[in-house]
Amino acid sequence: MGLVQREIEKAGIPTIGVSIVREYTEKVQPPRTVYVKWPFGHPLGEPGNIKQQRAVVLEAFRVLYAATTPGEIVDLPFRWRRHDYDSYEEPGAFVPSR
Amino acid sequence: MSNRIKNQLIAKLITRFPSLAQRFITAYEPWESGEPTPWTFVTKPLSECRVALVTTSGIHHKDQQPFDMQDSEGDPSFREIAGATIGRDYQITHDYYDHSDAEKDLNIIFPIDRLRDLQTEGVIGDLAERHYSLMGHIDGHHIATLINRSARQIVEKLRQDAVDVVLLTPA
Repeated sequence: MGLVQREIEKAGIPTIGVSIVREYTEKVQPPRTVYVKWPFGHPLGEPGNIKQQRAVVLEAFRVLYAATTPGEIVDLPFRWRRHDYDSYEEPGAFVPSR
Repeated sequence: MSNRIKNQLIAKLITRFPSLAQRFITAYEPWESGEPTPWTFVTKPLSECRVALVTTSGIHHKDQQPFDMQDSEGDPSFREIAGATIGRDYQITHDYYDHSDAEKDLNIIFPIDRLRDLQTEGVIGDLAERHYSLMGHIDGHHIATLINRSARQIVEKLRQDAVDVVLLTPA
């Protein structure tokens, strides 16, 4: 996935990727990544858990705007099946920092 | 065929018992380009951006040709996904992960409904009509095809659709 991400970014379109295998992401070095330590096949979480899926998508966009270093990987604090998404605070505006 | 069944069984086991996955993760060496990491600044607020999805989860429409699971170096081709219809017309061809949960809810690998929610709320400006799916785990001589053909064609289509931001999801 990271290889395709790099090509899209190289072509001038900003990208953000979700990773479930940190080791691969560290090697392939896509521009920006949010990492979740979750099982294969579940990058956005569990079926029907809308709050969880939404939280990952919003965190991805947050990092898209916040990241400043090429290759940055942000570890999301969400624990598999043990996280309370009601207490998740959604980011405010998604705007460029410069 | 027996090889496919073996792969599917391993995929189920490592999804259920993540500690087993570590062995497969360590055994696989992803290809490294050795080139510097590309970087493009986001210049617009998200509320003015058109967003597209790219996934390596092996999803496709039912009438599209499934990904080739016989080739041990993978299938470097891609499928164009129509955001408007994929939710009620999708199939997953991928033997290297257990997709039984994704068959219940596409959004855990391809969060199209979550993006639509955000579009409705005005958090994202617009959602592209076309999205793209590949299968990941590409190896050997297929890496060149992935980069020089598939990725370039995807970029061309993203440009045609004036996409500002791409969200990528694995499986």
